[in-house]
Amino acid sequence: MLPLIEFQHATLGYGRKIVLQDVNFAINSGDYFGMVGPNGAGKTTLLRAILGTLKPLSGKVVVQAAATTTLRFGYVPQRDTIDDILPYTVQEVVMMGRYRQIGIFRRPQKSDRDFVLESLQHVDIADLRHRVFKDLSGGQKQRVLIARALAAKPAALILDEPTNGMDFSSKISILDLIHQLHEEDRLTVIMVSHFLDDVANYVKRLAVVERNFFQVGEVDEVLNEKNLSSLYQMPILVTQVNGSKVILAGEHRGN
Amino acid sequence: METNEIIATIMAEFPYALYGSILVGALCAFLGVYIVAKRVVFLGAVLTQVSVLGLAMTFLPFMLVSHTAGSLIVTIIAVMILSRLLTGKKIPREALLGFIFVFSIAARILIMQKTPKVEVSEIENLLRGDILFVTPELFYMMLGVFIAAMTLHGLLFKEFSYISFDAETARTQGFNTGRWETLFYVIAAVVISVATHMVGDIFVFGFLVIPPIAAMLLVKQVKAIFLVAFLIGTLAPMVGLFFAFKFDFPASPAIIAVASIVFILAGVLNTLRRK
Repeated sequence: MLPLIEFQHATLGYGRKIVLQDVNFAINSGDYFGMVGPNGAGKTTLLRAILGTLKPLSGKVVVQAAATTTLRFGYVPQRDTIDDILPYTVQEVVMMGRYRQIGIFRRPQKSDRDFVLESLQHVDIADLRHRVFKDLSGGQKQRVLIARALAAKPAALILDEPTNGMDFSSKISILDLIHQLHEEDRLTVIMVSHFLDDVANYVKRLAVVERNFFQVGEVDEVLNEKNLSSLYQMPILVTQVNGSKVILAGEHRGN
Repeated sequence: METNEIIATIMAEFPYALYGSILVGALCAFLGVYIVAKRVVFLGAVLTQVSVLGLAMTFLPFMLVSHTAGSLIVTIIAVMILSRLLTGKKIPREALLGFIFVFSIAARILIMQKTPKVEVSEIENLLRGDILFVTPELFYMMLGVFIAAMTLHGLLFKEFSYISFDAETARTQGFNTGRWETLFYVIAAVVISVATHMVGDIFVFGFLVIPPIAAMLLVKQVKAIFLVAFLIGTLAPMVGLFFAFKFDFPASPAIIAVASIVFILAGVLNTLRRK
């Protein structure tokens, strides 16, 4: 199987500042891929290279085109990067995901409106379509942004810190939704998070990103105490509770 | 003067002032919705001052271009440079805009000091916004700018709104957001420079800000905000010009006062509605 995205000896950075050097890994079609690491480690740089908005300083990032069309990424940004002064409705926000397909100088057609409704139904928020985006809760906003990404009919869904700033139930609900999109629609998912628990219990493969440390592999292979303690420069305990991974930081004594 | 007499005088003696201020009011109010939404209100103030500097430069003896052309050229150059500089991180955006703002004012004052007295008063008239002396040529130029700007914004509404709402995601979908931003600011620069030449900097900056924020308080749908801002931009100059004649006020401040009253009323209405 051809990889969907392949980093070949890629050095990434901005101008003369190198963030990640000689990166080599591939993401295959159907993967559920996570990227973790401390703030400032280079996760967003890696994501920008995948999305094509950052060219590597050297080496290559090969993005595989589908047989009929170029690969489209459904990107879900961090919610706080969106400037919602104007009261766009949920429907209008999701329609933005179709703008590339609609094309310049053209107006959305019935097929686009149907597609928007279908995307909203897919993430269970069709009833919110006339509500104003900025008035929604964090979890609802995240569903809208996922629906907008789906409206572009993407080959892969890319999420940047999708659970940032959410309460516990919203967080679980969003992670379950992403999991469902991967399992039921066979959608390739790439998720960046600094919450290790989120990633540990959902993704299948993982990249641990740090300036002088870059490792890719299966979750169990990469998320171990030795790696994490070295990455975060503190003792870290990885354990299981009812089949779920739990990651605890600091010294732990007793049971 | 009686109401009918005032209306008849405006229509007979100052038709271009009336129609011109309506064109500028409506267009600036429409563009202003994006300017407020993009949080670049200060850029609106900066561009009006850059435009006045460009206009003042045409009074220098060696400048052989018309006032409008001078204002247009300097404002477009400033926008092209700003669209590159504003994305840099070394100097905060507001600080850079602040520098251009004070530089434009200082340079204009220096130019005025070295210009023959009669022309200084001419510049001052322009700065004060004496809209009563709009010439037919300037009016038709503004009409052309109005039609071109509104057509482009009508055709590219979805692209401009997407990029002002979420430029990062638009970029991942293949939109060249830098070029779209530059196009937006070039349109704004053309509108601001021709409008400033015609009705003055206070009027232009006022209408880039006041009708949009009043509309945001009055309605809760994006397209309705553009429409209501456009309507306030259309009606406030008519009412303001009427009061200017009625009470012998200068035209621009009277029009801005009317727009400000609409904003205050919108604020009160919004507060009452929330209670």
